[in-house]
Amino acid sequence: MATQDIIRRSGTTDITPSAQARIGAVKEVTKLFDATKCTGCKACQVACSEWNDLREEVGTFQGSYQNPMTLTPESWNIMQYHEVVDDNKKLRWQFTHTACMHCADPACLKACSTGGAIVQHANGTVDFDSDKCIGCGYCASACPFNVPKISKTDNKAYKCTLCSDRLAVGLEPSCVKTCTTGALRFGTREDMLFYAEKRVAQLKDRGFTNAGLYNPEGVGGTHYMMILHDINKPDTYGMPVDPVIPAATEIRQDWLKPLGTAGLLATAGFALLHRITVGRNIVEEDQPGYIDAAAEKEEDKQ
Amino acid sequence: MSNNKELIVRHKLIDRLCHWTIVFVGLVTFLTGFSFFFPSFQWMSGIVGTPQLAKIMHPFFGLVMVALLAVMLMRYYSHNKWNKYDLPWMKAVVWVLLQKEENIPPVGHYNPGQKMLFRSFVIFVIAFIVTGIMMWQPYFAPMFSAETVNWATLIHSACGILMLIALVVHVWMACWIEGSITGMLYGKVSKAWARKHHPMMLEEDHKDK
Repeated sequence: MATQDIIRRSGTTDITPSAQARIGAVKEVTKLFDATKCTGCKACQVACSEWNDLREEVGTFQGSYQNPMTLTPESWNIMQYHEVVDDNKKLRWQFTHTACMHCADPACLKACSTGGAIVQHANGTVDFDSDKCIGCGYCASACPFNVPKISKTDNKAYKCTLCSDRLAVGLEPSCVKTCTTGALRFGTREDMLFYAEKRVAQLKDRGFTNAGLYNPEGVGGTHYMMILHDINKPDTYGMPVDPVIPAATEIRQDWLKPLGTAGLLATAGFALLHRITVGRNIVEEDQPGYIDAAAEKEEDKQ
Repeated sequence: MSNNKELIVRHKLIDRLCHWTIVFVGLVTFLTGFSFFFPSFQWMSGIVGTPQLAKIMHPFFGLVMVALLAVMLMRYYSHNKWNKYDLPWMKAVVWVLLQKEENIPPVGHYNPGQKMLFRSFVIFVIAFIVTGIMMWQPYFAPMFSAETVNWATLIHSACGILMLIALVVHVWMACWIEGSITGMLYGKVSKAWARKHHPMMLEEDHKDK
């Protein structure tokens, strides 16, 4: 994919940022999922497998139409089936098209141990460079959405790329292309926000007073947004209520690194200074040619 | 004073072999670990070939390092118990650094500074093995929640940095106190060296037997 449009790169210090000169022309893109329109047909799941050349092993029944139960290295998006009893004691199925959220401020990229293994493109997509990935799993442990998965086959991390290869040639992601009900949409971030606003207003008119757009601020907003029946209960869709970059990741990268560097340099500097100022610490008696003055005096007396 | 140049055993062969194996294995572990913590220094993972190989080898080298360290710590345990001579020495630590020997209270086989290093290594060994297994992809990490693995990663890296600082002190002191590196290489130090740095080592060692 185009390497010219990488605006952020894992394992890289702020002193040497990725290309920042060209800004404005490339529009941020967003995938929009309208949960109120989804029928759970799983076409998106299949289209993803087809386009990305992935074949999940056939699993076993887990008491749900959901299969597999979580994202895997071979399933970059899955359809989650949530059985919810609403206020009128009525059972409702809530479907979640689960995939990478393409955060504006990605925890995976921040946690990554390897330079350039995770990149963010100018259009907002977050992509893994499998060739560089070493399989440390830091991204998997940092992601607040539990998205990246480490493959047992090649020990590398995998997740939805938002079909960055398709986007590069002006196509929409394969899941969007195939969606049977129009629940999945794709376009510039501006357009998607505009559409979502109108759709949410429409839902509110129809009685879904809590309808809203899931675009969590804690990760700087996401390039995969969701319209939900009840924005106050994203957990009923299997989504975290307030996702943020985990404290452990922030402490490691923003505190431990600078403080550790300072501590190391200070200790080494102090050691060198001490070595030069205090000088050698030798056992004089052991030096060649050492003369024991006291013993000599004894000999002189005799 | 004719016995000044007489040599005495400070480190037995098995302990010396253990120590220098740890140096080699630890060097690989630390260089690879450093490359994960500071991606700008990923070239340090080149010690084992590629970054991918470093990821695979680091835990195995780490296991050997930790296992051998545990053996050494057990073997040197008796020398590192806290005793009544330690507090006066600690109070005089500035004189130790300035090499004003007349102001330094006598100590045995190890001085309190070395004992503190020993204690910190005990903590590091336990922390490394526990957190290291928890974050070990792809074998053990999937057994723990993402959040647990993330905290384990933080503790693991913090211990790595702290141990590296402790190792800088260890190397600094070994280089400064001339005679200690040959002592660890060949096992023997002169009686004069022992009298100068660890005056009560001879009696202490005798008592142990």
